[in-house]
Amino acid sequence: MSGADLQVCAGRPGGPPRAGCLPHMAGWATRLAILVMVAWGTMPAQSIPYQRPVDEAPQEKSIGGGYKTPVVQKPLPRNSWLQVLDVAVLAAAMAISSWLVLKRRNRKSVVALAIGSLAYFGFYREGCVCPIGSIQNVAVAMTDPRYSIPMVVTATFFLPLVMAVFFGRAFCGGVCALGAIQELVLLKPVQVPRRLDLALGLLKYVYLGLALFFALKPAAARDFVICRFDPFVGFFRRTGAPHMLLIGGAFLLVGMFVGRPYCRYLCPYGGLLAWCTRLARRGVTITPDKELDCGLCIEACPYGAIEKMRAVRRNCLYCARCYAACPRDGELARAKAQLVKLS
Amino acid sequence: MSEQFTRRDLLHQAARGTVLATMGGGAGFLVRKAHGQVVWQVDAARCLNSRLGEVGVEACNLCTTKCVVALSAVRAVNEHSRCGRCNICPAYFNITSAVDARGLPSEKLCPRDAITRKPIGKADPEDPANNFYEYLIDEEKCDGCGKCVMQCKEPLGLGSIILRIRYNRCVDCNRCAISTACPKDALIQVPVEKALT
Amino acid sequence: MQYRQVAVIGGKGAGPGQFGASLRAIAVDARGNIYAANDSQITVFDAAGRLRRRWSTSQPVHSVAVAGDGAVYTGQIRQIEIFDGAGKLVHTWRDDALLGRVTAIGFVDGDVLAGDATGRAIRRFDAGGRFRNNIGRDNPLNGLLIPNGVVDFGVDAHGIVHAANPGKHRVERYTPAGELLGHIGHFHGTDPAGFGGCCNPTNVAVRDRIYVTEKAGPRAKVYSFSGELEAVIAADVFDANCKNMSIAVDRRGRVYIGDTVKLTIFVFEPVAI
Repeated sequence: MSGADLQVCAGRPGGPPRAGCLPHMAGWATRLAILVMVAWGTMPAQSIPYQRPVDEAPQEKSIGGGYKTPVVQKPLPRNSWLQVLDVAVLAAAMAISSWLVLKRRNRKSVVALAIGSLAYFGFYREGCVCPIGSIQNVAVAMTDPRYSIPMVVTATFFLPLVMAVFFGRAFCGGVCALGAIQELVLLKPVQVPRRLDLALGLLKYVYLGLALFFALKPAAARDFVICRFDPFVGFFRRTGAPHMLLIGGAFLLVGMFVGRPYCRYLCPYGGLLAWCTRLARRGVTITPDKELDCGLCIEACPYGAIEKMRAVRRNCLYCARCYAACPRDGELARAKAQLVKLS
Repeated sequence: MSEQFTRRDLLHQAARGTVLATMGGGAGFLVRKAHGQVVWQVDAARCLNSRLGEVGVEACNLCTTKCVVALSAVRAVNEHSRCGRCNICPAYFNITSAVDARGLPSEKLCPRDAITRKPIGKADPEDPANNFYEYLIDEEKCDGCGKCVMQCKEPLGLGSIILRIRYNRCVDCNRCAISTACPKDALIQVPVEKALT
Repeated sequence: MQYRQVAVIGGKGAGPGQFGASLRAIAVDARGNIYAANDSQITVFDAAGRLRRRWSTSQPVHSVAVAGDGAVYTGQIRQIEIFDGAGKLVHTWRDDALLGRVTAIGFVDGDVLAGDATGRAIRRFDAGGRFRNNIGRDNPLNGLLIPNGVVDFGVDAHGIVHAANPGKHRVERYTPAGELLGHIGHFHGTDPAGFGGCCNPTNVAVRDRIYVTEKAGPRAKVYSFSGELEAVIAADVFDANCKNMSIAVDRRGRVYIGDTVKLTIFVFEPVAI
């Protein structure tokens, strides 16, 4: 991967890319497509009037004998306050994630947070409601006047984006259940060649476009493909179609070596988060006059978020591996500091 | 470390502000439209098993096969106040099976034996034909296959058994998998208050 | 014995001789005129099927019967309206308790019998409208089991009331005083001699034999008084979704059946084999 390739996209190290860069334009094209797509209404299927005069059925006095008609059970769904709680937990988890990565710089606690998020958002909530899927709901709600979206889903969509505008992809690091499961299986990270990484990264926007296309169809034909083709939801629900479980297993298998393949190459929400991260003031920073030019962080980062000794924040998935590897920052530095005293 | 406030920073601030404002506007628009929790429900007037008019059709069991929950979230529910309490119930018995000595069909319809019955009111222990019966569907056994619903439908029955999504089992998917497959678009999203009335 | 279809009367629609939105009951008088109770009207056809007369009732009408003197009794909800042969209202009998939805009317020894579907009984009134007794209630246990919403009966030449008891899959015989004499019919899912489904037969007419209609696998059949199946009059000609088809028989043995979905009266005639 030559340095010339890097010049095409990067303006200045750590800064926004130059206009004309391919992922840049793809992102804008998708944005434009969203605005242009209009959902048209559809006629609902005609239904035959369903009249059932109740007095045809024998009533209690006809049956006699003191009979009382039993009440038909109507089991209640999950309390809506618990959904508000889910949003609160999401916000708290993102706050904790950014604090752990940016202030504490502690990899172990990030892993603990990932496990916790996997347990809560993954296995307890079974992956629903997730911000990735909420893209579809928001898109439909914006365009279909008859579709309205519950407030908790709106919050689930916007909170990680707002977080990204200030702090970057705190959602991706240890909060997203799909990210967490991939994070935890990553055993031997292999660096993906830069050009391949960039090309595969475009798939995110293709997927985003497809998801919006299918979501914005008329109500009867509407298909939420992000939900349907979620590779990990079968594990969360502990049941699923065999082919989806196999695909999920394949993702995890690949994920043992290639860091978080779904997050980097397929997640449509990741695309949106990457865009918001460009505006973030805070995030993982490699300070020019403090860094040793040792390159340990570049080797440690499995996600291609460090280029030429500078953090590429839009790719940073808040895993804190760079801090763990850095001899000057993070645990390594603190651990060494206890042994060595500079005279 | 102090940084000079450059033009780039100004652009960044402006961009951030614009993006946040857009997000706020979008969120405000959506929240204004929001009407709270919605749940999926089967529209009995459209469902193939319970809608009037279809005769001689096989019972549709897409609710059983398509639901992502292990033993479907859909159950057949008997609305007792509308039930005819007939002795020979076409949803309980397989009415085309051979008739036994008591004058009742020998086979039951439900493949999972989920329907039970008991005589109610003034009951005659000798002759089942004289009694009213209460038919109860055991929700642990029922998987929503729709056979009883199709038999109970008018004109054969009174249509008191219909398919219903049970909210203690339904995971409330974004786009219900059954709704994508339903040939009659019978799965609808209703506000939770309406679904529980 | 076999029957063949000889005529089709009426149809769905607003035209003359058509039945609008519903066809709930039919009756035949001594001269062979056909009376149809549809929507809130009584429509009269002559024996050849031509429209003779039509008049409105004050409420949706559920049954019709013609007395020996030509008076037309119409059963509605909570009342019976009595018209003369020309369609002029002569009497109205109202009773909130004893007359619910009157789905059949018959005559025996000068008394008027009204089938009350809400109370699931046949009420016997004298000619002046005074209540005498119930037929079919609590006899033997829960009386007439009617899940399909229609009480129907016929009266034979000896004054015996033959009432359809669809929940028990039989036609029961009662004296006008309400005593149960016996029954014909049994349940059977496949044998045409039996009554299938959950509640059949729905309607019955009596003259020299017992004529019944069924739903859900609609068909019309005729039985002897001893319960033997004599013929299946028709099956495929009816709409598969029809329910509670009214049946009437005239002096010549012609059978008139009102299809409640197609809103058509089918006329069948016995043919000598």
